[in-house]
Amino acid sequence: MKIKHLSLVLLTLVLVFGCSTKEKSGKPKIAVVVSTLNNPWFVMLAESAVENAKKLGYEAKIFDSQNNPAVESDNFENLISSGYDAILLNPTDSDGSISNVLKAKTAGIPVFCMDREINADDAATSQILSDNYSGCVAIGIEFVKELKEKGNYVEIIGLVGDNNTWARSGGFHSVVDKFPNLKMVAQQSGNFDRNNAMEVLETIMQANPNIDAVFCGNDAMAMGAFQALQAAGKANKVKIFGFDGASDVIEKIREKKIIATGMQFPKVMAQTAAQFADEYFKGRRIFPQRVPVEVELVNASNIKDY
Amino acid sequence: MKKKYAYVLGILIVAILGYKSVYFKKLDEVKNAQKENFNFKAYADSIYYKGILKNNNTISFNDLIASMKSNSEKAFKEHGNRLGIGNSAFFMIHSTGKIIDIKDGIYSIADEKNGIIYIDTKYIFGNAIRDASGLVKLTDFKTNSQFNKVSESLNDIIRDKVIPQVIKSVKIGDSISFTGAIKLSKKQNLFKDIIVTPSQIKLQ
Repeated sequence: MKIKHLSLVLLTLVLVFGCSTKEKSGKPKIAVVVSTLNNPWFVMLAESAVENAKKLGYEAKIFDSQNNPAVESDNFENLISSGYDAILLNPTDSDGSISNVLKAKTAGIPVFCMDREINADDAATSQILSDNYSGCVAIGIEFVKELKEKGNYVEIIGLVGDNNTWARSGGFHSVVDKFPNLKMVAQQSGNFDRNNAMEVLETIMQANPNIDAVFCGNDAMAMGAFQALQAAGKANKVKIFGFDGASDVIEKIREKKIIATGMQFPKVMAQTAAQFADEYFKGRRIFPQRVPVEVELVNASNIKDY
Repeated sequence: MKKKYAYVLGILIVAILGYKSVYFKKLDEVKNAQKENFNFKAYADSIYYKGILKNNNTISFNDLIASMKSNSEKAFKEHGNRLGIGNSAFFMIHSTGKIIDIKDGIYSIADEKNGIIYIDTKYIFGNAIRDASGLVKLTDFKTNSQFNKVSESLNDIIRDKVIPQVIKSVKIGDSISFTGAIKLSKKQNLFKDIIVTPSQIKLQ
């Protein structure tokens, strides 16, 4: 009877502690938490991060936050209890993601942000970010020159809660707003989504049929804008500007159907984040809080290089 | 009766979960939240008048080109400023020359040793001056947005105050000295069509 009770106590202990203790195998595990896998650009970022982590000898797995900070929070809870050793994060929200990063920090897990910035400089171990502002300053200058300093235009911004949205919009407006004959007739969010941007522009054009240009906060939305303009028979009249350097937009620049984009380097960001995680495991503790990655303007004059 | 309470409870739970699972932000709220109390204008004023104008760390354009041709890696390291990762860097240079053309804010300057160099007095935007000066560190500011506002205030001083004062008194044929930022890429090996974002122009 005593032996039976002892076995029951032991079994309970195994069940309780066996489930809550971190599983530690020999090889460190890296979690790649990405804002969404519905956009090819983020798929490339996530897959590239996994590939680089594996090349460095680590296990790596992708977690999709579906553009929702609550899902991201669940992901963090799961991967903390599953014993992951580092997180390469593409955040869903510049403010909403801070608590998730802090949760990992409290658990002793370093977080390296990729592409999207969080509004805190003491939460993530390091943030590797595209220099969106400078990239969009270059696009803004191109925009002013192409439109010869006058005309009506539409801006389709990305996710309202994402810093990249405002860095891009801010860089663009830091130039364009200095030219009073350029008039923004509408500014709306297309949530970085192709179909959403297409619908947004279709609605805007009902009230503003005479527009000369559209500036989109990413290339998926630029492609959506192109579709809307093509359906309205205005694709040759209205100038489109995007941001990302996606292959379909690069082709459209080659075909002279889109004017310009800003080339980002997701593979460089993913590689740097994985490299930082590797250095962290090997003992490095001091990292630059923010590492900007250069964005290059792509237009008709240099399209042959891309 | 019990069923009725169960339905009401169910609806309440669904409503609470629905309310908690989504949130909306107005564009105006987000924009207002981004406004800072920090006085960027005063800070930029101090960086420009006490820093950039008194900075002795500029390199002459002749010396930079010579240095690039002999050892570009060393030239990038010693004279360039690149924040983060990228192929290019900003350099703060000084030089002299004669104005041979003025078109849409672009001043073409004939430089005896290096051919023609262009000064763009119209598109003074972006981070060229801030980064080439090397006087402002990324870590001085909590977010990239604040860091970029330094550039905007700095550019406003140069584009709207400093340069208009000078260009109203210069004409084709005048000799000038100038200081400004240029961007060079590690991929480039030809130093033609160089465009300077000016920080200062002086009639000689």
